[in-house]
Amino acid sequence: MGASYVTFGRMFRVIMSGSQPLNWPDVIKNWKHGIAAFFGQKTLFKTRPVIGLIHALVAWGFALYLAVNIIDVLYGFIPNFKFFPDSFIGDVYRLFVDIFSVLVLLGVFYFLVRRFLIKDSRLVTRDPVMLSEKAQKGMRFDSFLVGSFIILHIGSRFLSASFEIALSEPDQSQPAANLVAGLWSNMPTDTMHVMEHTTWWLALGLILAFLPYFPFSKHAHLFMGPLNIMAAVDRRSMAAIETIDFEDEDLEQFGASQLQHLPQTQLLDGYACIQCSRCQDACPAYDTGKELSPSAIEINKRYFLNENMTTLANGDVIDRALTEWMLTEEAAWSCTTCGYCVEVCPVGNEPMVDILRARQDLVMMESKFPQDAMETFEKIENYGNPWGLSPQDREKWMDGHDVPLMREKKNVDVLYWAGCSGAYDSRGREISQSVANIMNEAGVDYACLGNEETCTGDSARRIGNEYLFQTMAEQNKETFDQYDFKRIVTQCPHCFTTLKNDYAEMGIDLEVVHHSQFIDELIRDEKITPKPYVDEDVTFHDPCYLGRHNDEYDAPRNVLQSVLKDGNIREMEQSKSESFCCGAGGGNMWYEIKTGGRINQSRVDQAVETKANTVAAACNFCNIMLEDGVKTTGNEDSIKVLDIAEMVSNGLR
Amino acid sequence: MKIAVLIKQVPGSESTLPMNNSQDWIDEPSVTFVMNPPDNFALEEALLIREKMSEGEVVVVSMGPSRVQKVIREGLAKGADRAIHLEEDGQIEIDPLLIAQRFTDILKEENFDLILTGLQSDDTGMGQTGVLIGEMLGLPTATLAIETDVLDGQIRVKRELESGWFQWVQLPLPASISIQSGLNTPRYPSLKGIMGAKKKEIRTVPNSDLLSGEQAQSMDRIFVPTTSKKTEVIEGDADQVVERIVEILRSDIKVT
Repeated sequence: MGASYVTFGRMFRVIMSGSQPLNWPDVIKNWKHGIAAFFGQKTLFKTRPVIGLIHALVAWGFALYLAVNIIDVLYGFIPNFKFFPDSFIGDVYRLFVDIFSVLVLLGVFYFLVRRFLIKDSRLVTRDPVMLSEKAQKGMRFDSFLVGSFIILHIGSRFLSASFEIALSEPDQSQPAANLVAGLWSNMPTDTMHVMEHTTWWLALGLILAFLPYFPFSKHAHLFMGPLNIMAAVDRRSMAAIETIDFEDEDLEQFGASQLQHLPQTQLLDGYACIQCSRCQDACPAYDTGKELSPSAIEINKRYFLNENMTTLANGDVIDRALTEWMLTEEAAWSCTTCGYCVEVCPVGNEPMVDILRARQDLVMMESKFPQDAMETFEKIENYGNPWGLSPQDREKWMDGHDVPLMREKKNVDVLYWAGCSGAYDSRGREISQSVANIMNEAGVDYACLGNEETCTGDSARRIGNEYLFQTMAEQNKETFDQYDFKRIVTQCPHCFTTLKNDYAEMGIDLEVVHHSQFIDELIRDEKITPKPYVDEDVTFHDPCYLGRHNDEYDAPRNVLQSVLKDGNIREMEQSKSESFCCGAGGGNMWYEIKTGGRINQSRVDQAVETKANTVAAACNFCNIMLEDGVKTTGNEDSIKVLDIAEMVSNGLR
Repeated sequence: MKIAVLIKQVPGSESTLPMNNSQDWIDEPSVTFVMNPPDNFALEEALLIREKMSEGEVVVVSMGPSRVQKVIREGLAKGADRAIHLEEDGQIEIDPLLIAQRFTDILKEENFDLILTGLQSDDTGMGQTGVLIGEMLGLPTATLAIETDVLDGQIRVKRELESGWFQWVQLPLPASISIQSGLNTPRYPSLKGIMGAKKKEIRTVPNSDLLSGEQAQSMDRIFVPTTSKKTEVIEGDADQVVERIVEILRSDIKVT
């Protein structure tokens, strides 16, 4: 017990070696979240519901056993102690213990079978993901040891109960133990006495034997998981991480190059991780064969922390780059920041945030990043858009369309932000024209910035160029300050989340709505009444930055519904919070990772499977990626890609 | 090793180029100016030479109105040690001889071991400044370098010739060399570089201190090339059609 205590103490000192100190009083204030996670087990059911249920039974069984062990100790050391003998409470207690013993035994037995006999591929990490050799061996050993411990501990306790029954009389409140007791009917009484005591003490003794190992094992997640949920950073949205103060002259490190640069909550993630690899299952980069596995990040982190526990606990720094042991550079660039890994994690880990921090270091400290991304930065710097097209051409999409300009109107209800893709990409322009048409039809008091608009800095920020992002934000703020408007409408979820959440992090407060929400509102307020005209089935692709990052799943579907006549919405295999990325997020629009398959093609395959004739998008990047995917998978004849605004605009004519 | 890199600021290639009212130059206020891309390669080559020799100084030298400070800062952020800004508000882009003259005094005074220029500027594309400066300063000069190798007091340069031929030449230092694009991968400035650039020295030399000469070339009028579409429908039997197509390929499109 002492050893375990010392180790836990060290673990907390290890966590303290990270940056951005945790606010412990706040963490403790969130105790309810931790308790809710432990007993509710809600986060486990988001994916793998059956395994989640088995896990829940094991977890509840564990909680019960905590009480059982305390009562057993009292029973062992206080002569003639019995927990409410012959009373209703005691019977209920014994019934619960009996049932849960069997359930936990079966559950853990299944877990061991799954790992060692079925060899579920979801529990291993494929090549070429970097996973420490120690972890590869350690994980199997760890699982075997802990699984065996639980089976031996609970099994012994259960056998002891059965011997006790065999020696006295059947106990109706312990049906399973009764059943097993029948097996001992031919055993000599002396042997039964010996067995009862041996198994009983074995159950308690095993706890003592296991305790010193417990904190090193991934099973520390029992405490660290709920604690991590209590310590969760309250972000405006998943990728809206804290800004960096470039005015602070004491700051010498930007982003995370080594372990100590990671925020403390990210180190806690490593301890909280149970290595279930739900995040790896979810990851579009992993799914398409790239070098990235979010769970490998946490697993590598945990083994690094274990291996260097003494050094780190002493406050010493280990001079090794994250890219040497946590994730490779290519893995960092493979992330589309879709946020699925964060969404599915039962213990509230954020591998995506580790990646964003590592990218900041690679970009701002080491200038090591894909060449194409560099060109993107230069294009944003020089021309104010990642396409590198002339800032004077931003208004071209308005030609022949009646679009009011901010520099003429100065004071409006709605500032319509078309975004770079809405101004330069040929399909994006058509979407902008549709949005403008809807606004005109609805009589909205709106205007566009036109040539005064410039990139929000989304791609720069996700790729890790926080400095460029802040430069863009400040530039846009100056423009906003010149005009009066109540809110911003944008068709691009990347512009949307950046203006809404990332700018807010910088202290620029704006009211921003996505065009899906705005059009939904116009329809509800009967400002427009699109004619239902779509006779064919439609599937909707949830953009990551609208859905998972901003929890908006209904508005775009409502909008779609408004134009459906005989057609229906057919959901893809993965939709809403489980939506599969188009592959463009996190700056991946601008550079190419050659390893593995193409994410957009996987998504198009899912869309085609629904047999819908249209895949509706609500993001210009998704639109570009899906159209490309439709062409490269040869599905041009079976499915087309349209933005919801285009579909509504068509219904207004 | 003291290296000068001459950097020009030019209209970005992605910008549309509107003409000014007098139709003798582009309308500068509505154009995005960037670092002349070939000069970016020259700067990178200078930085690589300094890194390889682990000593020396890279000085960015740029001529133009105050807007060129932007590319000077960019050069400093990428790693140049200091900069010299030669003020010039006149429209002398079109006159490389005059430009070269204005550079000479400063370059002479600094006693550079190596003067690197991009092979040409993306605006007027004369490709002469580096050569003229070499001549005016009496330095050995090489053009179109695609590889450099600094030796003791010498520099070996691989020059690109026509039709995939190359030439290695060895020049005594000091020398003036114009750099071909694509020989290296220009870096992106680190944040440390960007922050550090704010503290680096930029020496500004007023126009009046520069050697003045007569402008020998000037711009009379600029205009957008007119394009026309000509469609010819080829008629006749297969032989006649083939004959005509071959003729067009040979004489009009000049396929050899």
